Amino acid sequence: MTHASVQQRTLQSRALADIVVDRIWRFFCSVRAAVVEIAILALLVLVGTLRGSSVPQAIADTFPVTAPIVDRWYAWDVYRSLPFAGILTLLSVAIAVCTINRAPGIWQAIAHPSVGTTHGFLRNAETSASFAASIPPHAFAGQLGTALRSKRYRVLTEERNGEVHLYADRWRFSRLATFPFHLALIMILAGGIVGAAWGFRENEFYIPEGSVRELGHGTGLHVRLDDFSEVYREDGTALAYRSDITLMRDGQPVQSGSMTVNNPLTFGDIVFYQSGFGQAVALKIEDSAGQVLFDDALPLGPFQSRLNPDSPAARIDLLPAGVALSVVAPDENPANAPELDTLQLRPGQMFFMIRPLGADRPIAEPIGATVSQGDSIQLGDLTLTFVRERRFSVLQVARNPGIPLFIAASVLLIGGLAITFYFPHRRVRGIVSTTTDGSVARLAPIARRDWSAKRVFERLALDIGRQLGIGPELHVNEPASALTGSRQSVRPSL
Amino acid sequence: METLVRLSFYCFAAATIAFAASALCYVAYAIGRVRLRQTTLATNAGTTMVSHEASLEPASLGIGRFATLLAWFGVAFQVASILFRTVAGGRLPLSNMYEFSSTFVLLAGVVYLLFERWYGVRQLGAIVLPLIVGMCAYIWLLPAELREVNALIPALQNRPLMTIHVSMAILAYATFAVAFAAAVLFLVANRWQVAWLPSPDLLDDLGYRAVTIGFPAMSLVLILGSVWAYRAWGTYWQWDPKETAALFTWLIYGVYLHTRSLRGWRGSRSAVILLVAFAAVVFTYFGNYVFGGLHAYGGV
Repeated sequence: MTHASVQQRTLQSRALADIVVDRIWRFFCSVRAAVVEIAILALLVLVGTLRGSSVPQAIADTFPVTAPIVDRWYAWDVYRSLPFAGILTLLSVAIAVCTINRAPGIWQAIAHPSVGTTHGFLRNAETSASFAASIPPHAFAGQLGTALRSKRYRVLTEERNGEVHLYADRWRFSRLATFPFHLALIMILAGGIVGAAWGFRENEFYIPEGSVRELGHGTGLHVRLDDFSEVYREDGTALAYRSDITLMRDGQPVQSGSMTVNNPLTFGDIVFYQSGFGQAVALKIEDSAGQVLFDDALPLGPFQSRLNPDSPAARIDLLPAGVALSVVAPDENPANAPELDTLQLRPGQMFFMIRPLGADRPIAEPIGATVSQGDSIQLGDLTLTFVRERRFSVLQVARNPGIPLFIAASVLLIGGLAITFYFPHRRVRGIVSTTTDGSVARLAPIARRDWSAKRVFERLALDIGRQLGIGPELHVNEPASALTGSRQSVRPSL
Repeated sequence: METLVRLSFYCFAAATIAFAASALCYVAYAIGRVRLRQTTLATNAGTTMVSHEASLEPASLGIGRFATLLAWFGVAFQVASILFRTVAGGRLPLSNMYEFSSTFVLLAGVVYLLFERWYGVRQLGAIVLPLIVGMCAYIWLLPAELREVNALIPALQNRPLMTIHVSMAILAYATFAVAFAAAVLFLVANRWQVAWLPSPDLLDDLGYRAVTIGFPAMSLVLILGSVWAYRAWGTYWQWDPKETAALFTWLIYGVYLHTRSLRGWRGSRSAVILLVAFAAVVFTYFGNYVFGGLHAYGGV
């Protein structure tokens, strides 16, 4: 193979790589692609939203043939699915690439806009204004520039073929606001990823009154629920649910405090939330040798017993004894489905039942009995004491290092939107030409089919005319003028 | 307190009547009036020919002004209604669908009248005011017990966040209603070239301006909702149906803004997106009837 053919092949492969990169780049920069991606995201969000509603069921009830699809719909966790993650990734990359791609153009428009324009542009503009003066073009352009600057416009001029071309703009830096807005969207996603990767979240941290539970997640913390209280108003409606807790490290209290719904307790970067509450039972379990297997409180609620599915219940595996213990409390609402209540417990009573666990099977069949508060009972080799009823609290515990990112992103998002919408970049082009009587200037805004921008320009033209003592002639092409509604040239009175 | 609640309801009833009368006037103003002309011609043969001609003409400005006046009356009554209820409950009425919709009626009226003033367009009222009257009818159909002022449940006991979060939602929906009306009127004006309707460009711009208020407000709804969720539930996003419905709405308006600013979509295509986006607003607004989840307490 000759040196020339190798070089040619290298050039060809490089050209191919360039084409591929260019196409991928263009795909991510494409507004049409971005709109389609947002539309797909919106569609997936809609599918996920309806999944949390009764709408799919209504569809299945109306059109039974759709039942299998509806079942799959309910089963599909959209927000944890691959297509959803994919579209979010695609959008994030598109935002980043598009932002990088647009940056030079936006900066060019801000820092080095083209000043020159054409008579065709001014003639065909949907709205424009003419000013005549009996002074040379340079002097008149200077007067126009001063008037525009007094309206906080930046004015640039350029001489071309004996004419003075003029460019004026206001709020040019607002074009940069698109960057913080789009950066904010990526930061919100990044905040979610940071929170998931380096934070933790306990949705249901059950803890009975007087009990201590280890928090885990490498925090070295133990949580003790000192008290749980419900506060009701005179009319019986709930005012507050409050947990008083003590946080301990190495057996030593490090912080005590209360939390209610909407008022979490913070320890460093860990936040404790009041989430729920319920009934608990304090019990003591000893084996035949007198060894204590359990001496704590058990939350009643997370478990559902077949003996009465309506009742608060709990289950605990006593591995050293080879049995599982179920505890069922009295029915809280006996009027509801009384046929399900096979136990008929009275207040102050609990039903204990042990069943064999594993291969050893110290008992052949489940054994159960009703026990009153303060009493003990023998079930198999175990002595169970129903010490007393208690309350338990359900906390949510979270550490989310993504929160600062989220807060910063929120500020950038709202700030970016506000600047983009309320301080739009206003631009005016014009040419000042020589006439037999002196000079004439024709100005027009860059405001194609932008009613507000045209209205702003027409007001600006009137203000400039008033300032210079010249009555401007407004020219309006289709569509109608913002101020006058006319389709002709008009000379407003000053 | 009961007296104040009753007064609040009476004011709402008065507002409903004012808005309904205003809506009728706005519709009459937008449609114009039919003028019938009868011409009688005598022929050489001694017979006469009678011809009838009907033409549509702009309505008198008086009826438009009267419509605006009635709308302001409606707003004034609704302000009084909200004020009485605020005093009775010791908080802004934002906690259930009765209160939310009452405040929506007020803000939709105010937002519409401000846009009418800024743009000098009365014909828009022919769509916005019937929408407001529809919302009043919905409020009348709600269970009577919702008219009572109830204490807030613990989950809603965050007055600053609830006030701003919910108020922003109402403001967003109100401005989106105006944008929807502008889109509908745009399509009508563009299709039938009715001389006394505002120029399509003006309507297109009006719809866009309404969205430039509503979209940041909707963004604030999502952000403040997230902040509140983090404070109350420990996570700023739960994929709760109401949250995601609001996100869906936000995304559709995002599509509208992108197609408009970056692809230069104006006119009919933009108007159609606004119609779809408003359908998403309605879906989010009434979603509580079909959603479960964490916002279920705000249902009815």
